Amino acid sequence: MSLTQLMSQAGLWIFPAIALVLFLAVFVAVVARTFTKRSRKEGEEAAQLPLADDAPLAPAPINTSRPARTSR
Amino acid sequence: MSTAFSADARNERVGSSHEPANSGPLERFSYDDAIVRKFLVAMLVWGIVGMLVGLIIALQLALPYLPEVKGAKPLSFLYETSWLNFGRLRPLHTNAVIFAFAGNAIFAGIYYSTQRLCKARMWSDKLSSLHFWGWQAIIVSAAITLPLGITQGKEYAELEWPIDLAIAVVWLGFFGTNFLMTLVKRRERHMYVALWFYIASLVTVTILHVFNNLSLPYALAQVLSGNTPTKEGFVKSWPVYAGVQDAFMQWWYGHNAVAFFLTTPFLGLMYYFLPKAAERPVYSYRLSIVHFWSLVFMYIWAGPHHLHYTSLPAWASTLGMLFSVMLWMPSWGGMINGLLTLRGAWQKVSQDPVLKFFVIAITFYGMATFEGPMLSIKSVNSLSHYTDWTIAHVHSGALGWNGFLAFGMMYWLLPRLFQTPLWSKKLMAAHFWIGTIGMVMYVIPMYAAGITQGLMWRAFDESGSLQYNDFVQTVNAIVPFYWLRALGGTLYLAGAVFGAVNMFMTWKARPAAYEVPVHSAPALTPFYSDPPRPASRLGEGNLAIGHDADVFVQGWWHRVWERKPIKFTLLTLLAVLLASLFEMIPTFLIKSNVPTIASVKPYTPLELHGRDVYIAEGCYNCHSQMIRPIWAETKRYGEYSKGGESVYDHPFQWGSRRIGPDLAREGGIKSHDWHVRHFENPRQLIAQSIMPSYKHLLESKIDFKDTETRVRAMAMLGVPYGEMVKEGVASAYAQAQAEQIAADLVQQGGYEDMQDKKVIALTAYIQRLGIDISKPDDWDPYEKFRDRATKILAARNGEADKVASSTTKVNSGGAK
Ligand code: HEC
Repeated sequence: MSLTQLMSQAGLWIFPAIALVLFLAVFVAVVARTFTKRSRKEGEEAAQLPLADDAPLAPAPINTSRPARTSR
Repeated sequence: MSTAFSADARNERVGSSHEPANSGPLERFSYDDAIVRKFLVAMLVWGIVGMLVGLIIALQLALPYLPEVKGAKPLSFLYETSWLNFGRLRPLHTNAVIFAFAGNAIFAGIYYSTQRLCKARMWSDKLSSLHFWGWQAIIVSAAITLPLGITQGKEYAELEWPIDLAIAVVWLGFFGTNFLMTLVKRRERHMYVALWFYIASLVTVTILHVFNNLSLPYALAQVLSGNTPTKEGFVKSWPVYAGVQDAFMQWWYGHNAVAFFLTTPFLGLMYYFLPKAAERPVYSYRLSIVHFWSLVFMYIWAGPHHLHYTSLPAWASTLGMLFSVMLWMPSWGGMINGLLTLRGAWQKVSQDPVLKFFVIAITFYGMATFEGPMLSIKSVNSLSHYTDWTIAHVHSGALGWNGFLAFGMMYWLLPRLFQTPLWSKKLMAAHFWIGTIGMVMYVIPMYAAGITQGLMWRAFDESGSLQYNDFVQTVNAIVPFYWLRALGGTLYLAGAVFGAVNMFMTWKARPAAYEVPVHSAPALTPFYSDPPRPASRLGEGNLAIGHDADVFVQGWWHRVWERKPIKFTLLTLLAVLLASLFEMIPTFLIKSNVPTIASVKPYTPLELHGRDVYIAEGCYNCHSQMIRPIWAETKRYGEYSKGGESVYDHPFQWGSRRIGPDLAREGGIKSHDWHVRHFENPRQLIAQSIMPSYKHLLESKIDFKDTETRVRAMAMLGVPYGEMVKEGVASAYAQAQAEQIAADLVQQGGYEDMQDKKVIALTAYIQRLGIDISKPDDWDPYEKFRDRATKILAARNGEADKVASSTTKVNSGGAK
């Protein structure tokens, strides 16, 4: 009996169904936890990260005062 | 104090650890912006190249309609030159805009934002640089091989195996290692959601790429059958999957490439650069988390919606449809989150073209993610599939979402990277407007073309026969739209050129030496303790499992492991891998999914040659080989396609577009002479055809020496070739069939001396398409030329006798 025949009789179709349910369960758990009170505060802190990340010891990101290179 | 930076101070510790145990000693570091500059320039250069190729192929579909000027069609070389023709350039266009334009945009954005979000320089400058040059080398090799007809014949996975290996090394080895190690060495404990999106992209793209490209390299087949590999061995391979399975793999890949190459990384960029440009945090961080997990959990299941009404098992395509529809909600959650981030800042939007680019990008994300689920509903799909509607959908996503997000990011980055104000704000605004108009002019005509086409294909007249029986009528109707599309594309391309001018001029005004600001942050220490596990909030008298569940719902576990990059990566990997396996194992292993058909036999050796020509010329870019069980379609093309008919097709050639008619039942309908004349120049037979000319196939020769190895390669992949794999047999049969067809040709219309030309092999293949199921179970594909082949074999053996008086008589029985 080939592997294919063997597997055909093993009732594999049930696996996608189980996986689907598992996936949905984990997903619902993640969503549920995301909307707990505690995570709101954390979220607000985390949301600030991109805004706070560019402060160097001395700020000089955009330099307009220096002379541009004139000839190359 | 701003210090210009010396190399050895890149990651320098300041002072000793007198901080609390939770954070380590203060460290000084700087960011590597040189690598971001490189990727950004590459993005724009390749973007322009890719769009230009797109414009050329758009014109190829419209130009054949121009009237002749002085006895010749204007610009006809565009569709009459072998390496310029549509089937070869279309893959170049798609690969260039996806992997070169979008790819370099992603890398630029990731390298910029990851360093800042992690408060750490990229882990290794050397890897960054290897990544950059490696990726550009891959793009160049794509630009060389695709026009030469070197292709695997699977959409967006056309590149041949040596390039595929290089992609794996550069993507995972260079980029992946560098990125993940930066996360490990980061100085900011929380990983911002953008980083999650990057991780998911990194992981999933690796899996997709590896599994979809599993193939038997020709060189390996040559070695295994005892020969030394030739040059050809390194530019040709056949996927290990065939037919339904290959199709399933391919669209699992194709769809998720859209998801994890064009969606999740760009969402990461959106969640970083939009707050930056708007100078306010994202509207709801929690929504962004839900957005993330929904995409990771759902996208991976949605691929089969590309295969509705095909021979794919029904459960798989229904599953694909369900998940696609579910995807609509989180996608819109993400869109709303993006737009609401700008609440109270619309004043800014009206003044800042960067934000305008972002707003249009997010709007198009919303449109495309609404339309996608809609198109995956079977009844809509039955109209839209194979038409230009798909092209419209793709371009609203690609031009609107990916293109505009990339351009917005570019304009935000330019002054920061080149440390000088943007050269011209006016030109940036002009880019925005011309791009937007171009996009609209592209997308609307293509919707019109798609719907027109779909309706014409299924239109019946009162007598119950097809109203537009001649396929070319349905092509005629949409050529005006093709012109408008080319115009829209030109405008969009012009916008990109404005961007290039602006970039160049800004670069010219850069300072003599870039300033490299030094940052400082405490190192993270391993002694950091996560917040304690919370207590259950439930009262006494609950089961232990209830308490556990409550603790679980409080989400402490998520907070803990979302900070751990390696664990996070592994879990994402697991989610994606599991979903994929569960989805695929049944298709691969359950027999009833692909019922076999006794009368379907492997291709003859010559047809196999022809099939490789079909793949190399990229005919699948214009022709499907998959008749859906829909009345209008079986009426037009014949019996619908069965899964069992393509079990020997490595790779499958079902196609996804019908710029020309379906070819699944083309075999035997027309004479050999018709086909050769048609390939030489389709307009000799059908004046309004927009199919390219394949004159070169009437000149270039079949390499019969190859035949054996090709057949053996197929046999290695499980195609039952029987006797045919024996030394000398396959080539004798190939030659015999070629002579047979060449003789027919002389009789039918006068093409002479064609027996060793590629066009013969291609014709043999075309004449075989779809005929097997109407044959008796024990029919013999070799019948017509078996005698001729036996003679060739005998003659060869005779010669061998003379030379080396030792023979092993080869059985000429052929294969069944
Ligand atoms: C630019 C898109 C395009 C490409 C690429 C293309 N074709 Fe076509 N093909 C068409 C169109 C349009 C028609 C219908 C008009 C005609 O018959 O010429 C057509 C018609 C045909 C027909 C006739 C079908 C029938 O029964 O009327 C055959 C056979 C065919 N193509 C084979 C091929 C092969 C083989 C290749 C690759 C070598 C190829 N085509 C590449 C667009 C294309």
